[in-house]
Parts: sequence; structure tokens; C-alpha cells
Amino acid sequence: MKITDEVRISDNGFVFNSRTGDSFNVNPTGLELTKLIAQGHDFDTIKNMFLEKYDLDDLTFEKDFYEFIALIKHHQITSHEDPLDFK
Amino acid sequence: MEKLKYDKPSISKINAGMPSKFGLPVKQKIISEIDGIKVSTLMEEYGSPLFVISEKTIRETHAEAKRAFETRYPKVQFAWSYKTNYLDAVCSIYHEEGSWAEVVSGFEFEKALSNGVHGSQILFNGPDKSKADLRMAIEHNACIHIDHFDELYLLIETSREMKMKARVAIRVNMDAGIYPIWDRFGFNYENGDAWNAINRIMLAESLELIGLHTHIGTYIMVQSAYAIAASKLANLYMAIHRKFDYWLKYIDLGGGFASKNTLKGAYMPGNETCPSFDDYAEAISNALISSEIPHENLPILFLETGRALIDDAGYLLTTVIANKRLNNGRRSMVIDAGVNLLFTSFWYNLGVYPTRELEHAEESTIYGPLCMNIDVIRDAIVFPQVKTGEQLVIERVGAYNITQSMQFITYRPNVILIDNDGKTQIIRKKESLETFKNSEINPKRN
Ligand SMILES: Cc1ncc(COP(=O)(O)O)c(C=O)c1O
Repeated sequence: MKITDEVRISDNGFVFNSRTGDSFNVNPTGLELTKLIAQGHDFDTIKNMFLEKYDLDDLTFEKDFYEFIALIKHHQITSHEDPLDFK
Repeated sequence: MEKLKYDKPSISKINAGMPSKFGLPVKQKIISEIDGIKVSTLMEEYGSPLFVISEKTIRETHAEAKRAFETRYPKVQFAWSYKTNYLDAVCSIYHEEGSWAEVVSGFEFEKALSNGVHGSQILFNGPDKSKADLRMAIEHNACIHIDHFDELYLLIETSREMKMKARVAIRVNMDAGIYPIWDRFGFNYENGDAWNAINRIMLAESLELIGLHTHIGTYIMVQSAYAIAASKLANLYMAIHRKFDYWLKYIDLGGGFASKNTLKGAYMPGNETCPSFDDYAEAISNALISSEIPHENLPILFLETGRALIDDAGYLLTTVIANKRLNNGRRSMVIDAGVNLLFTSFWYNLGVYPTRELEHAEESTIYGPLCMNIDVIRDAIVFPQVKTGEQLVIERVGAYNITQSMQFITYRPNVILIDNDGKTQIIRKKESLETFKNSEINPKRN
């Protein structure tokens, strides 16, 4: 999974997709996740980083992570070639 | 190291300058208590899902309807439409408020009798009255509203055999500007069938014609339709007087007033668009009072109002079972109350509300718990983010849901009443395996 080329992410949480013309607001944790994904980290790495930093259990993170991934994919912020990606 | 507070990651699309169809988003409504009792307390004691009926709302709504009509018309009598909600506890409140009973089957007739309604105060409607039903109705001196000619002849035969007189009215269907016309019930006004039926009844020695009935449809959003209906019945009323020198006792305009629910596909919420009791009362009273009928011979006005009287008094409390993102990114959730309990979810966009302030509203779909694709309570509702176990309230479900609810897949829940003193009690028990064992027979095999 990677962030689509046409997507620009600013540090205040504003995301613009020039391919679709859509813009979005992401909250701080959403922004952090998006950046980590953009840097190419895998699920386990991101999970460990989050668990260390936040008052959070692993199952909650997992649920929220995949929900967020599904959303940014839906908004064409990421592109997936392989449906088994991130399993 | 102290860990930071975690917020669920979220992303929301910016729709600049694009207000929703109801204008800018308003503050999310919440329902945390009913008649002063916390929703969480009710669910803790009686389980989830849970139907809750408010006696206070029933009585207040009834009083409002009564006032609207009685201040405009000299003689008004409500008859509680049993099929709308025939829990004994509910019917008894209406009877205490002075309502007669409007029934459409032998079963409902028996229920009304067992609730202590005098037979002469039962209006017996509907196309399905067996000979046994008609006997029961004649014995109890009920007002039998004849639906079709076959019933008329069966009634003549039955009353002759019993050597008793049956008190009857006819149901009339007509063009009142409401389409499609419900012409499957009763005798048509415009084509002369109603007048023919009246003439036949006036010739039958064992029948006494006492009224005229119509029910032009349900959720009628224009009060002028009732004015048309009232005028047409007034014409028949006068025609009977002219030909037979005889005054009927009543004109019954049936039910059909819209409740404040919002119909599917409606552009505006029902509570802003539907006529009030005052509007309906004004239209009907004016039509009758300004008709040809002399003031001293005005008939009693019967009303069989159902949904508009009880919808607001009923709530369904429910719990979130799961959250789910659909393939298209849409947020959805599964709650523990399905369409088998909420028949009216097929007509209305039912109001579903959280019990406390929640954030991150977005368009969502609310599914029931049945393992069936049709089990959708709301297909598009702007709803905040909820966790599993979150308690929600569905409002305005007092009409038709409890009577039409189906047992399916799981037990039907408790129904409780919050009485005028704020006390709660079960008025119909949750089903159990016993409920089914009691009526099923499993034949022994060798
Ligand atoms: C004969 C008759 N009367 C009264 C009612 C109650 O109607 P509503 O709930 O629309 O007021 C009905 C419902 O269909 C009906 O058939």
C-alpha cells in the first residue's frame, strides 16, 4: 500500500487529492498514521509505535487502524495493487 | 514514561459550501431519559431491546386531540383503533379517557369486551367478519360497519335467524383527492353503490342503519381531504333523511391523521409538515357545520384516530452490537433491534438518537441484528461514532410496531409502561422458549 502520487498532506492535517479534487481534514492521530504509512512502515511497526506512545490496547488499535485504512483507501488517498496487502 | 491520551484516527471530507438538504447541520439531538427515567436504568432493569410506552404522552396527546375537536364541534366520540396498538394496558388508558373501541376482527372484538368495553360502544370494521363474528356483534349490540354486499346479505340472514336487530353503518369509499383511492373497502360513493347499499339496508327489517363510515387512507397530509369526505357523507346523510324521513346517529371519518414521523422520501421532517389536530378538526368541523344538515340534527362525529394518537408515546431502546465499514467506505452499525420489531421502518425514516453527547458524525447505515439483507433500520442517517454497547433510542414507534411485530430468529422483547406516577412495569413479557413450547406440538415418531 502506498500514498497516491497526487496526494499532498500538510502538517496541520489538511489533505488534498489533486486527482479527485477532494480535500480532507485528518485528526492528529490520523495524520500520524498517514505519515507512517507514507514512510512505508508495516502494520506491526506502526502498532508498536502507537502502543508505546499512547494509552491504548492492541485490539483497539487494530480495529481503528484497519477502519482508517479502509477509509483512506476509499477516498483514493492510498492505492492497493495487492488485495492481500497488509494482512 | 507517561503515555499520551489516544484519539481514534479519523478523516473527514471537506464539503465546502455544501449544506445538507436540511440546511446547515444542527446540534445532535439526544434522548437520555423518558418521562424523567434514565434510559440506562430502564435497560438495566428490563433488558435490550425494550419497548417503552409513556402513559403521560398517551393522555396528553389524547387530550390535545379531544380539545381540538370538542372546541369546534358539538358531539365528538373517539374510538380507539385496536390494530394500532392493542396491548390491554394501552387500550385501557384510551377507554379511561372515554374512547370507545374500533375493531377489525373477532379477536379484536373479544379483546375489547375483555377490556370492559360495552358491546354497544364497539365499532366493528373490516372486510373479514365470519358468521360467528356477526353473531357475537349482534348479541352485544355493536355497531357493525358493513364492508361489502356479501357481508350485508350474511348479516340479514344471521340477524333473521337470531330474531334480533343488528345496528349497522356502511363503510363508504370515495374520491377525496387522495390517490390511490382505497376502493377495496366499503361501497363507492361516486358510482352509486353506497346509495344502493343504504336503500337495501333500509328495506331490511332486521337491520337498523345508524351511521355512515369512511376511512380515506392513512398518513393523510392534507386536511382538505377530510373536508371533502365529510361533505360527501353529509350528502348521504341528508339524502337518507329526505327519502326515509330518518336521521342517522353518526358520521365516522375513520383514522388517517399523520403522525409526526417522517415518511421515506419526504423532503422535510414530518413534525414540520404534517397538519395538527387543530388543522384536521377545523377542516372537518367546518365541512359538517356548513353542510345542509340542520344544526339540531348534526350527527355525532366519530373518529378512529390511530397512529397520530400513539406514535409519540412509544420508544424502542436498543444497543449497538457492532460497527462496520462497508466496502464503499460508509460507516455502518448493527443494533439489537430489527425490522421484525419495527414494521414502520418500511414507511418511515425513524428517528434514532444517542443517549449522550457523541462526536464525529457522518452518514451511516443502521442495520438490525437479523441475518437477513432486508434488515435495515436506516439506510442513511448522519450519526455520531458509537462504541459497541452504546445505548440508543428510537422514537415515535407507538403505532403498528408492537401489533405487527413478528417473532423471528429471536425472542420479542419486554414492553413496559411508564405510568403517570413515573413507575415502570412490564405490560407484555419477553418471549421465552416456553412461549413456543406452549403452542407447538411435536408428533411422536416410532
Ligand atoms: C377502519 C380504520 N380505522 C382507523 C384506522 C387507524 O388509522 P390511523 O392509524 O392511520 O389513524 C385504520 C387503519 O388502517 C382503519 O383501517
